Amino acid sequence: MSERPFFVFPKWSDWLTKVIVISTLIIPVYLVILIAYGCSARTLNVNYAPKQPVPYSHAFHAGKLGINCEYCHTDVKRAAYAALPPTQTCLNCHSLIAAKSRKLQAIRNSYGTGKKSLAGMSVPWIKVDDLPDYVYFNHEAHVNAGISCLVCHGKVNEMTRVYQAKPFNMAWCLNCHRNPAPYLRPRNEVTNLNWTGKNKVKLAKDLGLTVATLPHNLGKYLLKRYHIPSVKLLTDCETCHH
Amino acid sequence: MKRKTRNVYIYVNIGLAALVPFGLICLARHERTTTPRWAIIQDMDKQPYYKPQRPSKLFADGRAMRPHIPGTLAQQDFIFVNQAEVRVHPKTWAKGHVVLASKKVYDSVLYGQKLVHGQGQWLTHIPIPLTKRFVERGRTEFNIFCEPCHGYNGRGNGPVNRWDQRLRKEGSPEAGTWVPPSNLLGPGVAYLSDGLIYNVIANGVGTMASYKDQIPVVDRWAIVSYVRALEKSQKVVPVAKLPYPIRTRLKSLTVKLNAKGKKKKKS
Repeated sequence: MSERPFFVFPKWSDWLTKVIVISTLIIPVYLVILIAYGCSARTLNVNYAPKQPVPYSHAFHAGKLGINCEYCHTDVKRAAYAALPPTQTCLNCHSLIAAKSRKLQAIRNSYGTGKKSLAGMSVPWIKVDDLPDYVYFNHEAHVNAGISCLVCHGKVNEMTRVYQAKPFNMAWCLNCHRNPAPYLRPRNEVTNLNWTGKNKVKLAKDLGLTVATLPHNLGKYLLKRYHIPSVKLLTDCETCHH
Repeated sequence: MKRKTRNVYIYVNIGLAALVPFGLICLARHERTTTPRWAIIQDMDKQPYYKPQRPSKLFADGRAMRPHIPGTLAQQDFIFVNQAEVRVHPKTWAKGHVVLASKKVYDSVLYGQKLVHGQGQWLTHIPIPLTKRFVERGRTEFNIFCEPCHGYNGRGNGPVNRWDQRLRKEGSPEAGTWVPPSNLLGPGVAYLSDGLIYNVIANGVGTMASYKDQIPVVDRWAIVSYVRALEKSQKVVPVAKLPYPIRTRLKSLTVKLNAKGKKKKKS
């Protein structure tokens, strides 16, 4: 004698399986991917390009005229902070060229030849590449170790208005700290943003070698030559969060 | 059958709708934004301390960094010179330091002058031992600070000058009152004493601005040494230093040339 089972799911309840599968598997996975993509540092941080008080074009000054980064950011090789230039640096040329340009009003205000109330005040430049306050980045240490401006700031010599080119999150920093060799270049080519390293003669000259004695692996060679600390030290918390 | 196809359509539509946010994010990724980044988790990103060159409401000039008090020097501005000679300290050299210093030597390095009977005279030598490294440093500094106007070879035709000449040709009012920079290889500079060239770098001359704040003391001397090296490599020698017969021949030649020039002007 066959007994009736205690409980049988009715046929209409089939759709519940679909609902459960969708709500427990597909929707959470979808949300996780969406949030990871939408809130990633690459999405949130890159391409921030604030409007500056002076429409200074790096593409013209650093790109077309080829003025070295260090002409304005003089302290980069001897201080932790690559300082913005004082107003005087702009006026080295602009007291003579385009001195009356409308674009330079903020510069004149700061210098004291414009609005009297703003004389002696800084030009209110807006910081683009800004790190969190618990990270202590040192320009001097990086630039003198053969890390180009390009690695963090992108091709500034092609930017009419500077934008943030790299995500500046910790994973991105560690990417290089775990394996610095491919990012290294000769020290005196650090501010040359068009450097490729393919010109062997120039490369040999930069390193004080001859073409014949050029190292096979430039990164590994520079790692030794510039005394770059071990990966263990480079990835230590205290290296950046001291 | 019909119902099944309808279901498929619904799923495809839902799937496509699910891709829309990704598309929007992708668009946002490639667009420049003028608003600052959107920090979801603030952590301690912004802490109540001042980073370099940040604004502050505490001071009337709006700066958190305080300017130099007149008559004082920052630590890195000290030039440390040894009693007898200036010796470059290998470790701090890159920062523009030299080792310390009697006041006399210190002053001569800082101002490019020495005291003779209580009066300042321009130094005729570079008060820092010349090494290959020192001159090479001069080259890198020259290529940074002097090249924009004077050009890589020092002949006074750098990119800024070329750009101004172009503006002038186009008749643009932006060309302004620019004066073409001097030729560093010409006799004008070759005649100058080292101390005077140093002084030009430090305090400027004519329309050239002072580079005191941009170039540290030792680097200024390095640039002087490189300018001298440029002159040597381009064989510019002050007339007074030429051997006697050549000097006289040159003199007669210039007299002749000048006479010719005057005749042409008259006619």
